[in-house]
Amino acid sequence: MSLPTFQLLRPRTLEEAVAFMAKHEGELKVVAGGTDLLPSMKQKLFTPGFVLDLRGISELRGIRDVAGNGAEIGALTTLAEVEHSPMIRRDYAVLHDAVRTVASPVLRNMGTLGGNVCLDTRCLWYNQSLAWRKSCGFCLKKDGNLCHVAPGGKFCWAAFSGDTAPALLCLGAELEIAGSSGLRRIPLSEFYVNDGIVRLHLGKNEIVTRIHLPASSAGWRGSYQKLRIRGSIDYPLAGVAVAMKMNSGRVEDARVAITAVNPAPHLLNDADAHLIGLAPTEEIAERIGELAARTAKPLTTSVLTPEYRREMVKVYARRAVMAAAN
Amino acid sequence: MKKELISLRVNRRTHELAVEPSKLLLDVLRQDLDLTGSKRGCDDSSCGACTVQLNGVPMLSCTMLAASCEGQEITTVEGLADHGGLAALQKAYGDFGGAQCGYCTPGFMMTVKALLASNPDPTDEEIREALSSNLCRCTGYLQMFQAIRAALAAEQKGMKHELVGAK
Amino acid sequence: MSEFSVIGKPIAMIDAAGKTTGAGKYTDDFKLPGMLIGKILHSPYPHALIKSIDTSRAKALEGVVAVVTGEDAPNTYGILPVGHDETALAVGKVRYVGDHVACVAAVSEEIAERALELIDVEYEPLPAYFDPELSMKTEGHLIHENRPNNIEKDYHHVFGDPEKGFAEADYIAEARYIAQEVTHAAMEPHSTLANFELDPYTGTLGRLTVISSTQVPYYLQHKLSLVLEMPMSQIRVIKPLVGGGFGGKSEIIPLEIIAAVTARAARAPVKITYTREEVFWAHRGRPRTIIDLKTGVKKDGRVTSVACKVIQDGGAYCSYGVVTILYSGALIGALYDIPHIRYDGYRVLTNKPACGAMRGHGTVNVRFAFESQMDEIAAKLNLNPASVRRINLLKPPTITVNGLRVLSYGLPECIDQVITRSGWDERRGKLPKGRGLGMACSHYVSGAANSIIRSDMPHSTVNIKIDRDGGVVVYTGASEIGQGSDTMTAQVVAEVLGCDLSRVRVIAADTDLTPIDLGSYSSRVTFMAGNAALRAAQDVKKNIVSAAAKRMDCAPEDVIMRGDRVYKSGTTGGGRDPGAAEILEKVDAPRGRVDGQILRGSVLQTRKDQGPKEHMSFEEAVVSAIDFHGALTGTGSYAPPVEARGGRHKGGGVGPSPAYSYSAQVAEVSVDEETGQISVHKIWAAHDCGRALNPVAVEGQVIGSVWMGLGQALQEEMVWKDGLLMNPGMLEYRSPSSEESPEIDCVIVESIDPEGPFGAKEAGEGSLAATIPAISNAIYDAVGIRLRESPFTPERVLSALRAKKGLKRIEMTEHVDPTAPTTFREHGGSLWFKGKGPMRHPLDPARQPAGTTTGGER
Repeated sequence: MSLPTFQLLRPRTLEEAVAFMAKHEGELKVVAGGTDLLPSMKQKLFTPGFVLDLRGISELRGIRDVAGNGAEIGALTTLAEVEHSPMIRRDYAVLHDAVRTVASPVLRNMGTLGGNVCLDTRCLWYNQSLAWRKSCGFCLKKDGNLCHVAPGGKFCWAAFSGDTAPALLCLGAELEIAGSSGLRRIPLSEFYVNDGIVRLHLGKNEIVTRIHLPASSAGWRGSYQKLRIRGSIDYPLAGVAVAMKMNSGRVEDARVAITAVNPAPHLLNDADAHLIGLAPTEEIAERIGELAARTAKPLTTSVLTPEYRREMVKVYARRAVMAAAN
Repeated sequence: MKKELISLRVNRRTHELAVEPSKLLLDVLRQDLDLTGSKRGCDDSSCGACTVQLNGVPMLSCTMLAASCEGQEITTVEGLADHGGLAALQKAYGDFGGAQCGYCTPGFMMTVKALLASNPDPTDEEIREALSSNLCRCTGYLQMFQAIRAALAAEQKGMKHELVGAK
Repeated sequence: MSEFSVIGKPIAMIDAAGKTTGAGKYTDDFKLPGMLIGKILHSPYPHALIKSIDTSRAKALEGVVAVVTGEDAPNTYGILPVGHDETALAVGKVRYVGDHVACVAAVSEEIAERALELIDVEYEPLPAYFDPELSMKTEGHLIHENRPNNIEKDYHHVFGDPEKGFAEADYIAEARYIAQEVTHAAMEPHSTLANFELDPYTGTLGRLTVISSTQVPYYLQHKLSLVLEMPMSQIRVIKPLVGGGFGGKSEIIPLEIIAAVTARAARAPVKITYTREEVFWAHRGRPRTIIDLKTGVKKDGRVTSVACKVIQDGGAYCSYGVVTILYSGALIGALYDIPHIRYDGYRVLTNKPACGAMRGHGTVNVRFAFESQMDEIAAKLNLNPASVRRINLLKPPTITVNGLRVLSYGLPECIDQVITRSGWDERRGKLPKGRGLGMACSHYVSGAANSIIRSDMPHSTVNIKIDRDGGVVVYTGASEIGQGSDTMTAQVVAEVLGCDLSRVRVIAADTDLTPIDLGSYSSRVTFMAGNAALRAAQDVKKNIVSAAAKRMDCAPEDVIMRGDRVYKSGTTGGGRDPGAAEILEKVDAPRGRVDGQILRGSVLQTRKDQGPKEHMSFEEAVVSAIDFHGALTGTGSYAPPVEARGGRHKGGGVGPSPAYSYSAQVAEVSVDEETGQISVHKIWAAHDCGRALNPVAVEGQVIGSVWMGLGQALQEEMVWKDGLLMNPGMLEYRSPSSEESPEIDCVIVESIDPEGPFGAKEAGEGSLAATIPAISNAIYDAVGIRLRESPFTPERVLSALRAKKGLKRIEMTEHVDPTAPTTFREHGGSLWFKGKGPMRHPLDPARQPAGTTTGGER
């Protein structure tokens, strides 16, 4: 499969990148690691006139310990760099846990944290070649006006399938976003849109530049549990992240997030209410599992049945709570 | 689309090439440089048969634009053997059945070489993890463990290279 | 000192360096001056008439050289003479989503892909059939007009008196088993490069050379000749390195013909390489299979009768289907002693990609059912699963009730080996909760005793030429596809000639150079091409020996060729004769030097006059033989003996083999009862391969088979929705990664077959089938659930666990219950067209222009 033709833009600075985006608004796609965009372009899911390659912007690379103010990870930092960062491992265990499950080691050498956060939503009826999609009359998300997953609906259920997002949500991460009007910063929890097409609160001319991890969640214990059939390479079919601030065996603060079962990763709203002040037990963990399963709305976007995936959200949430606690 | 002139450094040599901006590194290696050791096995960045090293780090050449690789040191499987000899790993894969049909083998060479470069004494788990980037359909991966262990032993003995065909 | 010098040794594949250095060439690695890239347009419909095809817009695109359609090569072909139902490109009708409609040759892949979008095809959709049991009931809109009820072929075999056998039984087990469809997923996508030379006299298109990723170059040559209407002598097929086959390249794959047809139209070399998705559409893998199995046993587990009905969802073309459905029945026999067998097999056409031959061809799914049922019987009768197998062993030499001749039979030792090594007797039933052991056995043919095209022609022929410098060149049509056939051939020849392996060069699978061989399938190469190589080597050895006998002044019987030397019996034996070593050293010294080669001949010539010798180097002996006989060549061929060719019943030609391999396995698994996930910790696999000519290669084959069985058991599955393949890629078709691949303890059992080359039998397929039931039986041992539907994905396992505990069910599609499956599971989601056939969804591409693609959504 060949890529559709395009012009390649290779900015050296963020300013240059933002200027390119403004100049070619609507006909440009951003590429960092390429592991999400390029396979999709082979399938002609995107045929942009311009591709903006961010790799040359070295200022967006690297992990920085911001003294007393958490950590700052450049959007172009590879998943492997995050995985092997002693600081992340020590202070943000849930992110370390999640990032090492992404795809495969080689793909983590390529994929970036920014790319993983902005991952396109996935669906078995969408991530297919042009010929395949043509044979089923296309879908809502691309070229068609029908959803095969929920017939009759006008809502796209393609699932957000990133592993790091739920971990970052648990850590209360914030994003720095660059656009024509400069930099803005938003909590990651406000970044996602639960709609397989809209996906992100990200303007046409904006790019995610940095991920901030607050000092307040440093040292939280955490666990990420991923459902997949194959032990490597696969995207999550369901994923649960749990981060807890523990103090002498009791939970002081906690967040639970799920991924791959909705068009957006979700932070469970009242998970903390079930955990704070308590020492996690199987029963408490079970309640978190039920809460997570209620939030999960998997549909037939993957080869596994939705019912099974919802069940697994429950089991994995329980396990993640117990793993994080112990 | 109009071609652009790029300069790629592959296996310690610099090549001036005119390529379309949309051309994948894998295609440039195979078609423009006749380095056909890197293979195309899938179209969805899952199989690893096209793995090359960029500055020593294994990556999928089917998922990179050639033009994006300017200024990087690219190593393909053809660049592993030097002085006409086989690297210990290459010999061991042959001796211990690490390669059957051989189509995935160049990709494995690149990932495993990178593992051994960064970790000269890997545990079975570390080997297993490194192998998990590449799919093989013949071997069940098992004989690769033996091959890697043998290559490590050979390298430790200082027998880094053995002449092709020599007995 | 071992009986043998070269065989039986763990030897690296002779082509290993080419693979580890990237120097070895596979089809897609070739390019020719002026070569064009071919891209194929596929059908978006499962079943439709082609009303018209307009290629004018595509032809007009800059960079497009030719566009061909079915009319350009309408002759039919197929791998089986009874199944000539394919054309290079669809003629008048398409039969599955992915069927080949047109091909564009252009100067680049990107232009060819764009041109495909400019071909206008008008279709008239027809009702389509996806479930074989429904397809069998249809009367109208047949997939192929000459196949009533969409049944490709059905067979009804009765051996012995099955009803009497059931009447004698103390217990009868009966159940339906279902195996989902799996595919080869060889790492190398199919690729073909076709090129016509110009006729030097007329300037018209002359000879055709095709480089292709094939397991069967001679069949390809034959079918090309049929479709292109060219004599076979005008077609040269070259098989370079092949990146795995597993049966997926064991017949003519559409692109191989299409590349030639397109090259003819373009008057330029054309290379077509399938995308991974196209590989899935071309498929020819293991069909979805329904097995209704009934086994009668005595109280002690002895089988009295077996009745088996098999329905295979064959897809839209015959492919190997008739053979597959016959293997499914025939190979119920030859593993155990079964006195009575009834077999009803239906190969059914559906509007899906054609299924064909895949590793363990025809036997795997039935073996899953059979070995599972054996385990159920053992549990029911409170017997040790191992003793149920032992009590049913064959007593060879024997001919089974269905006419299969069994001579060598290592199964008893295979069972003993895995029982001992796995600690079966001590550990079974004593493992922690959720952990269990299961066992199963399997077998496979060492090549079919009857060729596809019935004839008395040899199945394999090998020629040998020995050069004056002692270089041995072996010409074989056998297809190396990674299994080690070239190495095996070299080893056999080196062993017979007593020469060093490095002298032997194998020229393989080039129809211009090598003698005919049927190809690499049915695990036939070691047995048949191995025997041919053995005979060819013996043939050429005769001449060396007679010349050497003269030189050494002894009887030919007293000449020994061994250790790269030729000597008189009783003189130097195998010992280290200093004289010989000295000569060897001298002769060896210039090896590889061009000037040395001619020189050496003269040196040896002069030595000739030095009187009778006690010993000679191999080269010396070769020079003597050439001087004495002229060119030193030999030939050998192999045809299976008449006694091995099976019964005379209809379909009795499939199943018979000169020898069968045997495998016994024990799997240790644990089951996560909350998630249904299975971990396979270890598999002990003992495989009787007759004699292991190269233990490393045999282990590689056995481990690879077990591993592939593991994939089918746990996670591989082609997921369908109304004939649309939902997972046509390596990302979603989940071939196991190293992470979940277990330790496999491979034990080689050597039964030394009386007819195999040095006693060897097959090693590449026979172990696959046992793995699936070994795992399902281990799951039963671990958690008490019987999974009668493969693969045992976590949701199926959990669903079964829930059912057992009486908990709320996990809803699989259409109430499919993995413990008692009735129909195939389909993927969920909406029907992508309402009803089955013409009433398609309004968004059908035929009803609206193809969507225009725009930039990204950001």
